Amino acid sequence: MTEQFSRRDFLKLAGLGAATTAILTGCGPASRYVKREPYQQMPEYNSVGQSTYYATTCRECAAGCGLVVRTYQGRALKTEGNANHPLNLGKTCARGQATLHGLYNPDRVQAPSTGDWDSAIQTVADALKNYKPGEVAFLMGMAPDHLFDLVSDLANATGMNGPVRYGALGMFEARATLSKAAENLFGQAGLPWFDLGGAQVVFSFGANFLETWLSPLPYTRGFVGLREGETKLRGTFVQFEARMSATGAKADHWVPVRPGTEGLVALAIGKLASELRGGAMPRVFSSVNPAEVAESAGVELEALHHLAEMFVNFNVLAIPGGAALGQSNGLEIAEAVLALNALSDNFGKPGGVYLSALAPNQTETSRPASAEEMAAFVEKMKSGAIKALFVHGVNPVFELPAALGFKDALANVELFSFATFPDETAAEAKHVFPDHHGLESWGYQRVATGVSLPVLSGAQPVVSPFYDTRATADVLIAAAKLAGGKFAEALPFADEVEFIQSKVGALMSEASGSFSAADAATFMAYFQQYGGWFKNADALIAPDGSGVLNGNVKAAEPEFAGEGEFFFVPFVSPTLAEAGANKPWLQELPDPTTTVMWNTWVEINPETAHELGLQNDDMVRIVSEAGEVEAYVYLYPAIRPDTIAMPFGQGHTAYGRYAEKRGANPADLFGVHFNEAGDLAFGGMKVKVEKVRAAQSGVGLARLESRIGVYGEALGEEH
Amino acid sequence: MTNAIPEVKLAEEHVGKWGMVINQDICTGCQACVAACAMENNITFVGEEDSGYGRSMHWIRIERFWEGEYPEVKMTPNQPMLCQQCGSAPCEPVCPAFATVHSTAESLNLQVYNRCVGTRYCANNCPYQVRSFNWRDYERPEPLPNQFNPDVTVRRRGVMEKCTFCIQRIHKAQDEAKSEGREVMDGEFTTACAQACPATAITFGRTDDPQSLVSQLAHKGHGVKHLEELGTLPSVTYFKGG
Amino acid sequence: MADHKHDAGHAHTEEHFREKHLMLDPLPRGQMNDMVMESMTGKPGWKFWTAVIILSGIVAYGLVYSWAKMIAEGVGIAGVNRPSYWGIFLVNTVFWIGISHAGTFISAILRVFKAEFRRPFTRAAELMTTFGLVQAGFSVFMHMGRVWLSYWLFPYPNQRMLWPNLHSPLTWDLLAITTYLLSSTMYLFLPLIPDMAMARDRSTGWRKNLYKALALGFRGTEGEWTHLRHAMNIFAFAIIPVMFSVHTIVSWDFAAATRPGWNSTIFGPYFVVGALHSGMGAAVIVLAVIRSNMKHMDYFIRAEHFDAIGKLMLIISMTWAYFFFNDYMVQWYGGDKWTHQLLHFHEAGPLGWMWFAMLFCNVVVPWAILWNTKWRSTPWLVSTVGIIINVGMWFERYIIVPISLTINRAPFTWRMYTPGVEIPLGIGTLALFILLYVLASKLIPLIPVWEVQEGQMAHELKKFGRETVVSVSELE
Repeated sequence: MTEQFSRRDFLKLAGLGAATTAILTGCGPASRYVKREPYQQMPEYNSVGQSTYYATTCRECAAGCGLVVRTYQGRALKTEGNANHPLNLGKTCARGQATLHGLYNPDRVQAPSTGDWDSAIQTVADALKNYKPGEVAFLMGMAPDHLFDLVSDLANATGMNGPVRYGALGMFEARATLSKAAENLFGQAGLPWFDLGGAQVVFSFGANFLETWLSPLPYTRGFVGLREGETKLRGTFVQFEARMSATGAKADHWVPVRPGTEGLVALAIGKLASELRGGAMPRVFSSVNPAEVAESAGVELEALHHLAEMFVNFNVLAIPGGAALGQSNGLEIAEAVLALNALSDNFGKPGGVYLSALAPNQTETSRPASAEEMAAFVEKMKSGAIKALFVHGVNPVFELPAALGFKDALANVELFSFATFPDETAAEAKHVFPDHHGLESWGYQRVATGVSLPVLSGAQPVVSPFYDTRATADVLIAAAKLAGGKFAEALPFADEVEFIQSKVGALMSEASGSFSAADAATFMAYFQQYGGWFKNADALIAPDGSGVLNGNVKAAEPEFAGEGEFFFVPFVSPTLAEAGANKPWLQELPDPTTTVMWNTWVEINPETAHELGLQNDDMVRIVSEAGEVEAYVYLYPAIRPDTIAMPFGQGHTAYGRYAEKRGANPADLFGVHFNEAGDLAFGGMKVKVEKVRAAQSGVGLARLESRIGVYGEALGEEH
Repeated sequence: MTNAIPEVKLAEEHVGKWGMVINQDICTGCQACVAACAMENNITFVGEEDSGYGRSMHWIRIERFWEGEYPEVKMTPNQPMLCQQCGSAPCEPVCPAFATVHSTAESLNLQVYNRCVGTRYCANNCPYQVRSFNWRDYERPEPLPNQFNPDVTVRRRGVMEKCTFCIQRIHKAQDEAKSEGREVMDGEFTTACAQACPATAITFGRTDDPQSLVSQLAHKGHGVKHLEELGTLPSVTYFKGG
Repeated sequence: MADHKHDAGHAHTEEHFREKHLMLDPLPRGQMNDMVMESMTGKPGWKFWTAVIILSGIVAYGLVYSWAKMIAEGVGIAGVNRPSYWGIFLVNTVFWIGISHAGTFISAILRVFKAEFRRPFTRAAELMTTFGLVQAGFSVFMHMGRVWLSYWLFPYPNQRMLWPNLHSPLTWDLLAITTYLLSSTMYLFLPLIPDMAMARDRSTGWRKNLYKALALGFRGTEGEWTHLRHAMNIFAFAIIPVMFSVHTIVSWDFAAATRPGWNSTIFGPYFVVGALHSGMGAAVIVLAVIRSNMKHMDYFIRAEHFDAIGKLMLIISMTWAYFFFNDYMVQWYGGDKWTHQLLHFHEAGPLGWMWFAMLFCNVVVPWAILWNTKWRSTPWLVSTVGIIINVGMWFERYIIVPISLTINRAPFTWRMYTPGVEIPLGIGTLALFILLYVLASKLIPLIPVWEVQEGQMAHELKKFGRETVVSVSELE
């Protein structure tokens, strides 16, 4: 450059540079990691005072939302949604925002338990070599998919057990039940996708789609579409559930049906609607007696009539989900509610029911293990069929109901934990070989549901690893190499990145993708830059609902285990979910319905509490057939008097200073009962409530809300 | 610093510069805005005891009440409550140290942390109760401080703080626009809460630009400005909907 | 009072007058001076040292240690929260400023109106003003989040051209309190000069040096007396508006805010009267303590003084009740829903008992007791009423500050307030207040001897036939 270059020009250029930063990064760093460097050795693509933005995939849940992380001198400062990502369109949930409190959590596993990685890899290699392939098992979380693929490849090539995936969210969502119901009704398994945005009326039977259910961000977008559609009137939303969830709180009508009667209510509404419409009564609804159902569900027949009338004028979308499916008759409920959609004939139509699109490198629908499958897995551990267990991305000691006996079964296996945080499973493990945090990791995640396009969400490290951690994929590749033979052949990669390139590179040949490139390196660079790859063509599967109306859905009554007098509704904390408890800012987020922070509560109807002589902040013991937990009472005005509810997410015995010894875990109450699809019937029990001690002044639930202002306490106006 | 008693204006006539529209009908109460705000603005967490005693530091909180009795009980629409950036703010005149002053350039209420001596008068006088006080030096153990946003001051004990409409983002966008010789475009940037909101219930932008999305939304229907009868001229418009 | 019945030959009526009225019961100047000197310089007994040690201990823990801890850890160790951002700190500030009011009221207003009964206790009252303001200052600085920067609230020239905000009632407050503290200290000092001169002439050692310095060379010439009277006259008139303005301005801290329950136009006079109410109550306690614990003080402080102050207390109590009713009525009639909530919360909230206790202490008790001359002339009874009134007035301020702060226009934030370190801090200020008195009793004459003497010179008993009448000649 021969011209004079003034400071002003320089600043102008710098400004332009800043504007384009977000677009250029991603293909920037040639090295694997951005290093935290002093000013003197600033990498050339990094300049003082300028932030660098990296696209990656959120790992707080398995939905696969795209993130853009602002980094500054090698530190991650802020996560934002990736606006180009079709799943979340630039939005994030609270957990996505707080992911940095995971990255920089003061309680992370900082080094392998063996002290150095060479011996760690040797340990893994020895386990691969010394155990028979059938004795080695992998238990993995619902994310990330690239590691799942890597382990699957390894298992396929060596005869090890295929990796089993599990997550508490999957259990509470009853994914197996949803999938099975779809299979029974449509002859095709898959994860149903409900197009809320296009619907006129939504009947949700326990689906907490605005909280944690399946993929909350797209469902929130759908909900906004329902309310705010440009070309239509504000849609109506009816929620059927015994305890008002944060989702139910947004409903126009909240119908507190008795737990387990959701399917019957759906069929009764279907019958009443069919009667209103005239013509032949569809076989599927013919067997129910609406008056009896109203009686059994604890709602007015009049109300059911009123709801049925909506079918005359509107297209109604009925969604089964959440607590409703975690009943002994959960599968029947799912089928009955799905069948209700047949009245609106909305299968595979806008505003209706679809089956989720398969992701780009996915050939068949997959789901995490059901509780019944996990029980079988535990059985194998107990019987000694499994001798070495590798756990990654899941915390089964906490996330599996204690009654399944996973923790006890661990005594029979050599446990390898790849936990990033010192969770309960890591505490039990002989070897802890910490993986990076999600923001330090490479990877990809298949978007399982939530968007009509097939999306493969890409992850790249946005900062260099903070501690002496190592990618589990790298550990396995290195260990396989060390073990030699078929192991080395199964994973012929230099490292994780090469493995991902091999998988992602396969998409280059696909037509109509979000981008294309001539060579693999460029394709991979774009993949990082855009935070993933997606097909441009709508790939939702239209289910065949032709046989639904004349099909057969059992109108089963639910069964309840245990002696107690109360139905029990456990629900996933919308802010903490299964793994948020160690992030202090998630702990300090008020629960959307109760505004409680940092603790676990038991929701009891004020009338019931009055009868039991209970008040806010009394400590009670909840006793089920399988166990007991203690928590503070919260007088919750929107719950059936015969039902109590508790959030899942706290009650950790390990998992760092912010999670440990805080609150209670309702999963400790779960007995081992499954519905017909193999999901845990976590709602299928009755519990007892015993007062442990009365509320003490200065001790109790931390609420954001004012008990005086919201409930009129201390003003003589309690309600 | 104002020198004269401001003219009495009706809230409808007040324009201001930056404004927000919040649609309560679609707000799901998911707390993403609260988390995003905390992450962007280096807000400290205070722990169970203090947060239960009314000392949480949220700059934005979601309020909700109950209507009716079971089974006809309803939760009122979620109401995200944050600094309303009043045009005539009750917090401003009462600060003896000029720590809470009005920015005539941005039409915002500023909180000058290093000028604050902690009389807490502003918080008493805020009808929206959206100011948070640093009651202690809350511990943020290493390496959590790595996440601090370098554009936002980290506050110590004894200092009042509140929502700034992400003024660091405003300034950044203005600097960029200036260096490119243009005006800041609508939608070019937004606040952390609006950016995160999965329901797009929060819209932020220029209220003095009638073409901006926020202006158009604000004039769309039956928007409400909270406690406008006090003459505070708030910059946030709420839609209850339903 | 047996020791000063020096002239038994007088008629019964005259005797009666002498016994009852200090002004009519003169003693030789020298003897009176000696009495005061003895009460001051006498060797302190075990009672004195016990009091000093206990009070110093409380001050060291309550004020020094607790405050240092709060400065180091933050205001979080107190009970203040959202929405009760102020709490007991401001309760105590208002309380102590209230206490300080009686001093000026007694010494300035009663002096201006030539209320003769004031003479023996103007000094004690003025000390109350100064010592009370010190506690008020401590209380208001304590409450600040960053007290080490409190000098920013004063207008001082600085490079950054920063000035305190003159729109803020707190700035007015600070200026008013500072003015009041300075002027009341000077007003305390002026009448002290002749007594210092008296003490100088009757002491030795360090005391002599101290009093010499404080007496400013006062010799008691006619010119000096004239100048002194002029100065005191000017101060007495000037300090009255200052006194009224200070508590009015304190009330504006609340009344100028937008909060329900605070935004009341009547708060100015209401606070002034409330201040006098608690101040007179405190004055009577101080007098009773001095009278019973210091030598010769029962000569100077007599039942007639309790009777006179008792009358004042009764009238002030009635005035307070009127303003209370006025304030309540106007706020209630205003019909604002938040104010209604607040008034309801005052009476029916968890601390509703305090509201009723306030009315009982401030109205019922004084009205029930102080109407009776005999009861009014009983020192222990009147001072007990004084204590009760001060409890009631402290409750009143507690209701105005933390209880009213609980209720605002954002019901989602309503929250009760539980005091924390405010309690040791508050007790610390009380202990310091008493300690200052205890120490002052050994350093300066708590009785303005010259004023008493001056009064006695002006009063005499004259006999018209069988009738004995009091004659007062104009002195000033």
